[in-house]
Amino acid sequence: MFLLLFFILSISIALSMVLHKNKTIVKAMTIIFGFMELALAIYCWLHVGETKLEYFTFDKLGVLLLSILSLLSFTTIYHGFIYVKDETPKRYAIYHSALVALIVAMSGAYLANGMIAVWIFVEATTLAVAALIYHDRTALSLEATWKYFFVCSIGIALAYIGIMFLGLTVNGNRILQLSFDSLSQTAIQANPLYLKIAFIFIFVGYSTKMGLFPMHTVTIDAHTVSPPPISAFISTTLMNVGFIAIFRVYTLFSSTVILTFMNNLLILSGILSLLIASGYMLKAKHNKRMLAYSSLENMGIVAIAIGVGGIGYYAAILHIVLHSLTKAGLFYQMGQSYKVMGTYQLDDSGNYLKLYPAGAIVLMLGLICITAIPPSGLFISEFLLLKAMVNNGNYFYLIITAILLCFVLYALTTRVMHILFSQPRNPEIVTTKSINPIQTISQYILFGIVIYICFNQPAVLVDFINGIVQGLPK
Amino acid sequence: MDILIVILFAITLLYFSITERFRIYTNLVCFQGFLLFALALFELKALTIGNFLFVSSETLIFKGIAVPFLLYKIINKTGEERVHVKALPGLFSLIFVSIGLLLSIIIAYSLKTRLGNITYFIVSFFALYTGLFLITSHKKIFSHLIGFLVIENAVFLFSLTIGNEMPMLINIAILLDIFASILILGIFAMRLKQHTDDLTMLKDE
Repeated sequence: MFLLLFFILSISIALSMVLHKNKTIVKAMTIIFGFMELALAIYCWLHVGETKLEYFTFDKLGVLLLSILSLLSFTTIYHGFIYVKDETPKRYAIYHSALVALIVAMSGAYLANGMIAVWIFVEATTLAVAALIYHDRTALSLEATWKYFFVCSIGIALAYIGIMFLGLTVNGNRILQLSFDSLSQTAIQANPLYLKIAFIFIFVGYSTKMGLFPMHTVTIDAHTVSPPPISAFISTTLMNVGFIAIFRVYTLFSSTVILTFMNNLLILSGILSLLIASGYMLKAKHNKRMLAYSSLENMGIVAIAIGVGGIGYYAAILHIVLHSLTKAGLFYQMGQSYKVMGTYQLDDSGNYLKLYPAGAIVLMLGLICITAIPPSGLFISEFLLLKAMVNNGNYFYLIITAILLCFVLYALTTRVMHILFSQPRNPEIVTTKSINPIQTISQYILFGIVIYICFNQPAVLVDFINGIVQGLPK
Repeated sequence: MDILIVILFAITLLYFSITERFRIYTNLVCFQGFLLFALALFELKALTIGNFLFVSSETLIFKGIAVPFLLYKIINKTGEERVHVKALPGLFSLIFVSIGLLLSIIIAYSLKTRLGNITYFIVSFFALYTGLFLITSHKKIFSHLIGFLVIENAVFLFSLTIGNEMPMLINIAILLDIFASILILGIFAMRLKQHTDDLTMLKDE
């Protein structure tokens, strides 16, 4: 009942925002929605393991990712208020309406318990986020929106065909009624060839959302032009939607004979993602684009971790959680650095430490966190990944991953150092605007959590991650 | 009768590969909409009033009328009538698409499918191949749109292959897809008229 009420109220809020077009009312409604999202997360925590409304289940993975979304919703809403404060009431309303719709769709995708239910919510996220990518109404944002929407639609169509293939293994339409749990029982007896084809289609289709190779390009473009708070969402919680869709299918098939096939596919995609990310980051000239490639790199790490298996599963989930917090903070900071320096172009950026010290410290902390340098919590997840590779004897993958990560480390460090300490190569373009340091607090909080987890992983987090991976092969 | 319709559908796909005019593309999309409507009527055994209304509105009204209408509007507004001048010549396209048909047949038979009708499977796979081919081999956005619509038709055909009833969740999924298509066609294609050749502003230097 609560879940149904949440969906009905949220959709009503999103619709009434567009109708009202009054900034104060829209703002109030958005805040109310933020608390509703928090209430949903709390409700899910209190009912872990239960199934509601037939198509939703509060399993540990869904609840964990929903909690991250709930936390980041507040920060994204806050930074969104700042970003769109000078917009016309109409565009202000459309932005927030689409934001609410996006958060609702992502919540639904996390909690959905069935192939088609996940698919519907993934499609809904595409519709909602398209309006947000197009927010600035520039030629670039139009191009990015078009590409994102078009390629995601194709990806989702491919995923649908994958689901249909899966349907072949469970007597057609039963696939639509079956939950993930009951499907896993059926999958064991299914024809492996059908399962392989289904997995390839679903993996390629949902990789548009996860931002993984081979469908990563549109996500990169979308990051580049979206409003920074939306980039933060696309790079974290929306990528997590793609992750959960793929991971659920992986879990479903993990007890079948195609496990090795899936692992190889994930490792291949992960390494190619890392390769592309490191290559492009070395030549990146756009600050947000650089962070977008960093997201590709991190999703590559997650894919490799799942492919390696064993302790890699734990590493993957931990990495997803920590990457979400870190990357969101970095994108919020990118929005602020744009205000201060007046550009996203690397050559025109510089001297940030003098211009805005509070933001510069955030950028430095963000660099440490995202490159997994201790005391970043991501150090733990990447260390566990490397350990899993050693445990499994995957030395070849280990060497390749380590080399590519070194390239990423070099590319990110040199570019962030340039932004912080160097003079801009094209100083006349720089226009300075002041920012109230209070606006940066959210980023300190997010990085603070990431650093805290390096020293102490809360028992509840460990319990949740262990619960998520316990059904997977050792 | 239904096999004949599926074969007709396959012929339209071959025609896509050789034609270079956008108006013919549009006519073919329209024709495919009507063919899918006829197929759905043959295939849906438990055809309730609700199902009939849904299927007819999706295939006949949406795929057969609304989409072609929007496509014509785009052609008139943009003034773009033909594929890109450097597009793959018709003969080569035909060869590539025919290879796709051959591959679809091989895949369908090698799967030793449990499907009721293997022809459906072959043609839906072939439609998927053709859609992807149109997107990758053509430069103009209009051709990409056509490729997308062909893929959507492939998905519809595939869903008919899997089951002859249409559960509500599939209907919702298709509705959402329709909504996405309308958004793509109606909003972006119209606004993108100044970029009808290609989209290349966003790239790594």
